[in-house]
Amino acid sequence: MTQSVKSKYDLPVEASTPEGAVSLDSILCTEELQCRPSRPPDYEKENRALVALMSTLTDSPSSIFQTLADTILDITQCDSAGLSLLTRDGKKPDVCGKRFYWPAIAGMWNPHVGGGTPRHFGPCGDVLDQNRTLLFRHFERRYAYLLPVIPAVEECLLVPFYVAGEAVGTIWAIMHSDRRKFDAEDDRVMASLGKFASSAYQALIHIENLKFQVSEREKAEAEVRELAKGLEAKIRRLVEANVVGIVMWNLEGAITEANEAFLRMVQYNREDLASGRVRWTSLTPAEWRGHDERAVADLKATGIFQPFEREYFRKDGRRVPVLLGGALIEGSGNEGVAFVLDLSEQKRAQDNLRESETRLQAFQEDLARVSRVVAMGELAATIAHEVNQPLTAIVTNGNFCLRTLDGATSNPDELRAAITAIVNDGTRASGVISRIRGLLKKGAPDRTELDINEIIQDVTTLLRHEFTRSRVSLRTELASDLPRVLGDPVQLQQVLLNLITNAIEATSSSTNGRRTILIRSAKNPDGVLVQVQDSGPGIAPELADRIFEPFFTTKAEGIGMGLSISHSIVETHGGHLGIVPSPAGALFEFTLPIDAGVS
Amino acid sequence: MSEPESIVFVIDDDPSVRCAIERLIGTVGLQVQLFGSAQEFLASKLPDVPICLVLDIRLPGISGLVLQRQLVEANVQIPIIFITSHGDVPMTVRAMKAGAVDFLPKPFHDQDLLDAIHLALEKDRGRRQQEAELTALRARFESLSPREGEVVAMVVSGMLNKQIAAQIGTAENTVKIHRSRAMEKMQANSLADLVKMIQRLQVSPSKSP
Repeated sequence: MTQSVKSKYDLPVEASTPEGAVSLDSILCTEELQCRPSRPPDYEKENRALVALMSTLTDSPSSIFQTLADTILDITQCDSAGLSLLTRDGKKPDVCGKRFYWPAIAGMWNPHVGGGTPRHFGPCGDVLDQNRTLLFRHFERRYAYLLPVIPAVEECLLVPFYVAGEAVGTIWAIMHSDRRKFDAEDDRVMASLGKFASSAYQALIHIENLKFQVSEREKAEAEVRELAKGLEAKIRRLVEANVVGIVMWNLEGAITEANEAFLRMVQYNREDLASGRVRWTSLTPAEWRGHDERAVADLKATGIFQPFEREYFRKDGRRVPVLLGGALIEGSGNEGVAFVLDLSEQKRAQDNLRESETRLQAFQEDLARVSRVVAMGELAATIAHEVNQPLTAIVTNGNFCLRTLDGATSNPDELRAAITAIVNDGTRASGVISRIRGLLKKGAPDRTELDINEIIQDVTTLLRHEFTRSRVSLRTELASDLPRVLGDPVQLQQVLLNLITNAIEATSSSTNGRRTILIRSAKNPDGVLVQVQDSGPGIAPELADRIFEPFFTTKAEGIGMGLSISHSIVETHGGHLGIVPSPAGALFEFTLPIDAGVS
Repeated sequence: MSEPESIVFVIDDDPSVRCAIERLIGTVGLQVQLFGSAQEFLASKLPDVPICLVLDIRLPGISGLVLQRQLVEANVQIPIIFITSHGDVPMTVRAMKAGAVDFLPKPFHDQDLLDAIHLALEKDRGRRQQEAELTALRARFESLSPREGEVVAMVVSGMLNKQIAAQIGTAENTVKIHRSRAMEKMQANSLADLVKMIQRLQVSPSKSP
């Protein structure tokens, strides 16, 4: 900081008495002032000086210090006169400054304006330290740094300069020769002028502050004006764009002004508006009057009301949904402006969305119903096939026996073989029936505690014939420590039936040697995990996302409901059915959560 | 080993059912050949005797209905008797429309199956006979000389010998000679016989043109 105000008078701030300098006392001769013959006060001149200071204050306040210096020079008839003010930056007075600067100098030292001395080492500092007038003689003997400031000083009279009761500097008068010596009158007149200048300076500061405030205020006002101008343009654009309905109204219910957008919304025309027929009170359906009253109450209290959705009557008596917001015009107390946004499109879109959601839901319900029917049909077909096969064999073999017995020649070995086959098929049919009965018996309640391993075993037993028929071998890895889960056994059987049937079909269509299906059950963090893996060709990754969609199928005879139904069944059980990437074949897995209530 | 009179093919994936059907058909002295799947059947060679097919709808791999379609598409004409344990009306309609002889729900009456088999074999026998006759007829027709063929065509269209002679620019007697030689070659006893033969050749396009 000091760097920026460097001048030839810049001195080390902490300058101290150099070796060999004389003592302060030896350069002071203040007491002599009282002894010296004193000239009489020249009040007339003093008054003129004060007037000059005063007029400076009104004409060019910034030159107050220079005028003060000039006045002192004039009144004391000295060689040089000036001010030293404490400063931090060398430009502005500052009571905390570390050095003095010379803002104004009159007379022979005038070229040194802007120079200065250190606060704690120099004549001005001495004056502030002792807080009284001091008279120095040849102070350069102590303060050597003043030696180059020419012409040299014979005597220097320094008087403290106060601002707001605090000594912030000195005013001084210098004699460069012994042409005359300062006396008590000089001390008095300088103190008097100093006091006046101090007041003037404070006034000046005050005025400067005021000026600054005024300019700030003007700036702010200009900004506001600019803003208002921009806002006005924006509002005008808004009104002209006719995107938003804008109405001017009063609390009595009249609409005094409205833009095209608003008129279009309520389907009135300009003539209607001019005739005064269009009143916001009559546009308001009865059930919205309460809202209007609240809005009016808000307006009276705060000047604005919160935007709210409501309806207006159109000219044809139908209603238009709108968003309304508004405010009272400042100072009118009765008139206001309101912004009206047509919500018809939005409402229509919402209604459409709701409608399509309803349709979707209905469709999903239909689908679920179809799914159940199809699943039942599939189950019925399986059962019919399972039961009818042995029955067909039995009936046919029986008929063979009858025909053989009726015939002329009967071979007992042939008969025995046929009858053995009848017995075997009878046993087989009864086994199928008891398994089906077992399935149906367990399927009564919706949700029961169940062991998923039991379900897996039931279904694989039911499908045992399918396995042998398709020459697919079954492997199971069922965890023995599975927690019981809450579920619908029949539905879960359907899921497994579907997954395993798919696996059998996939495996038997496979051309490679291995024809196995692995069913695994395990505990997992969510509950129970069941996996069905086949050695078939697997599922192409690009189909993996679609196979759970209804009606998606890769089979010539399939209807594409099985996996979709299974998926929704598992989901209604709070679990998830998915396909897992597998190095060979397809791997489906589903999880069933353990219900909190099931131990 | 002498060539059998006819063979019944049976496709059912259930060995128990297959054996029972074989026994039953055996009681009426027919020869039976059993298959566990459509693929096995397609891999076998068909003999040149009247045959029919007893076909289960529900089969692993290629189903009965798909096999029927494949055979129709390949123009292999085998009378089919469907047997199924869960047939419904649309399935039946589809099978019958595609030319099935019968559609029997399992378990079936033995006589129904045997009747259906007899009907099917009869149908195949008839078809084979017709085909043989047509082949012979075509051979006879092809033995005609170009001029004889020309004359036959005009005779059949109702033209008189005189008109034919004028048309081809020859003597009426020459036409008579062509005509009687053609009748002889075609083994036609009368004009009506010849007309019938030519009609038959026209509605049954040659298998190998």
